[in-house]
Amino acid sequence: MSAAGEEEENAADLKIGDEFLKAKCLMNCEVSLILERKYDQLQQIVFEKSLQYVKRFSRYKNPDAVRQVRELLSGYQLAEFELCVLGNLCPETVEEAIAMVPSIKSRGRVHDDEAIEKMLNDMSLIKKFE
Amino acid sequence: MYLKVQLNWNVVIPAENLDIKGLMLQKAILVRLLDDFAAKKATKDLGYLVAVTTLNKIGEGKVREHSGDVLFPVSFTCLSFKVFRGEVIEGVVHKILKHGVFMRCGPIENLYLSNQKMSDYQYQFADNPCFLSLKTGSRIEKDVTVRCIVIGVKYMEAQKEFQAVVGLEGDYLGPI
Repeated sequence: MSAAGEEEENAADLKIGDEFLKAKCLMNCEVSLILERKYDQLQQIVFEKSLQYVKRFSRYKNPDAVRQVRELLSGYQLAEFELCVLGNLCPETVEEAIAMVPSIKSRGRVHDDEAIEKMLNDMSLIKKFE
Repeated sequence: MYLKVQLNWNVVIPAENLDIKGLMLQKAILVRLLDDFAAKKATKDLGYLVAVTTLNKIGEGKVREHSGDVLFPVSFTCLSFKVFRGEVIEGVVHKILKHGVFMRCGPIENLYLSNQKMSDYQYQFADNPCFLSLKTGSRIEKDVTVRCIVIGVKYMEAQKEFQAVVGLEGDYLGPI
């Protein structure tokens, strides 16, 4: 699949290429808000499928809630990519969060279990009061 | 994963369409950009090109000598979609076969989950075939959402499509 000789791509270690480490990643719920506003643009398959998918897989629907989640997660030392995987999958326990985004425990960053738990609790509070 | 990317493309306006003023020219450039964007569909680096979100800047036009067309450098922001090896994603099952299952995720039509990558699950032949976990009783069947990990990704330049192979080996993976 990937060409031999390239450093092996692996999102679990945040090895996703320099371009994407710095790129702005978006959560499904953010994309949903953007695409819904553009529905009258050219109808095309890629657009349609994306719209359907992000609407179905948005954990947060209310635009304020969406913004709050982005703000909340931005306060932790997370790469854009990690932030969005968390915002998309909304893990409920610290264990689950580490299983979904193993890279949060690596790279010498300080992410103790308490901090992660607080982050997850805040995320679910936003969902409750959405 | 959806990405917001800033791009710089050249948009070519044919000579015949230049007989317009100010805002109409901007509109023509935008329309041409959207057409080019839709036609491009996908690239290996960015993934699927989903939508243009903002037009940032239109540079000065340059006349192309032989055709008389004018080339405008355009800076814009757009959304793209790509999956990465090692990424955990959620897909929707759309086809069940004896050896595995096909899922959709965003614009990707074919995520393949092989029976070898879901060892707890067994194929059940029926009118509505599925994969059943003997341990937990959970089923993977049409329209079910499955959380899985991406094992490999392939881009097919000719068809401008991505395909990926996924697995369920790992904690917290499986049907939702």
